[in-house]
Amino acid sequence: MILIFGGAYQGKLDYAKKNFDIKTVCDCSDGAAPDFAADAIYGIEGFVKRCAMRRYEALTGKEPEKQVKRQSPESVLPPLEAADWFSERRKAWQDKVLIMTDVSQGIVPMDPALRVFREMNGRLMLRLAAEASEVHRVFCGIGKRVK
Amino acid sequence: MNVFISGGCKNGKSFYAQRLARRQAVEAGSPLYYIATMIPHDEEDHARIRRHLTERDGWGFTTLECGKNLLSLLDDPQVVPSGAFLLDSVTALLSNEMFDERGEFDPDAANRIRGDLTEFAAKTGSTVFVSDYIYSDACEYSETVEAYRQGLAAADRALASVCERVIEISGGMEEIWK
Repeated sequence: MILIFGGAYQGKLDYAKKNFDIKTVCDCSDGAAPDFAADAIYGIEGFVKRCAMRRYEALTGKEPEKQVKRQSPESVLPPLEAADWFSERRKAWQDKVLIMTDVSQGIVPMDPALRVFREMNGRLMLRLAAEASEVHRVFCGIGKRVK
Repeated sequence: MNVFISGGCKNGKSFYAQRLARRQAVEAGSPLYYIATMIPHDEEDHARIRRHLTERDGWGFTTLECGKNLLSLLDDPQVVPSGAFLLDSVTALLSNEMFDERGEFDPDAANRIRGDLTEFAAKTGSTVFVSDYIYSDACEYSETVEAYRQGLAAADRALASVCERVIEISGGMEEIWK
């Protein structure tokens, strides 16, 4: 598996398409669950955000202030921990390109649900980076292999 | 050489950029310009500008005030286009053009600025551009702020593509991307 990460709007998908053989992309930025039939999974942080919103609701019994744009089209609820969900499906993404936004920098969000998201995204990125055969970081349209 | 510098806030970008711009001027024996992008609105801003001027004192910079219309700088016959320029920052320039004094939002500003910046790079050839890396947080912003982030990212990427060198500064240290 190849992990590509970087900040928002940095050109991660362009970089992935330019450097790897990608014919099909599954876009999860609106919250959809990854479909590993595609060559690349993009916007994984969107799926993580939906997991985090459910986790926040489960923890507090409160509706999160921020809702990801799309509500789940599936009847299945998103998992409570994105990193575990990925670990359970290791076989499905072993030969995929996984692309996600790093949201770990900047100030701690005021919204507690977004704090859950920020931490969950970090845990997943760590786990995927540890499993990846290659890790690339994209900065202002330029990529660099860091693992 | 045109150079693009970005990174987090208070990481030493400006100091690094000042040294680099001065070195370019010294090596080429050309004038050294500082493009001041801040438009002062109150006494706090004026105080900040005075502090910045004091900090740059003795570096040999000629300060050019330019909060908007970057290319108009080159219409001034006193300004030598082959000189060494320091533009600090792309962030402020976009903000000045995108939001006016009354807070009115101009949706075309991002495209305009992107064009101005790459044209300025092409017409000068020895400019150090400083921007801010504001793309890795978990907050959610209003639509206009999100448009600003997206516009700044597009300007950054365009500059990174045309500049000969791209440097990320963190903790005062450089990471060479190009």
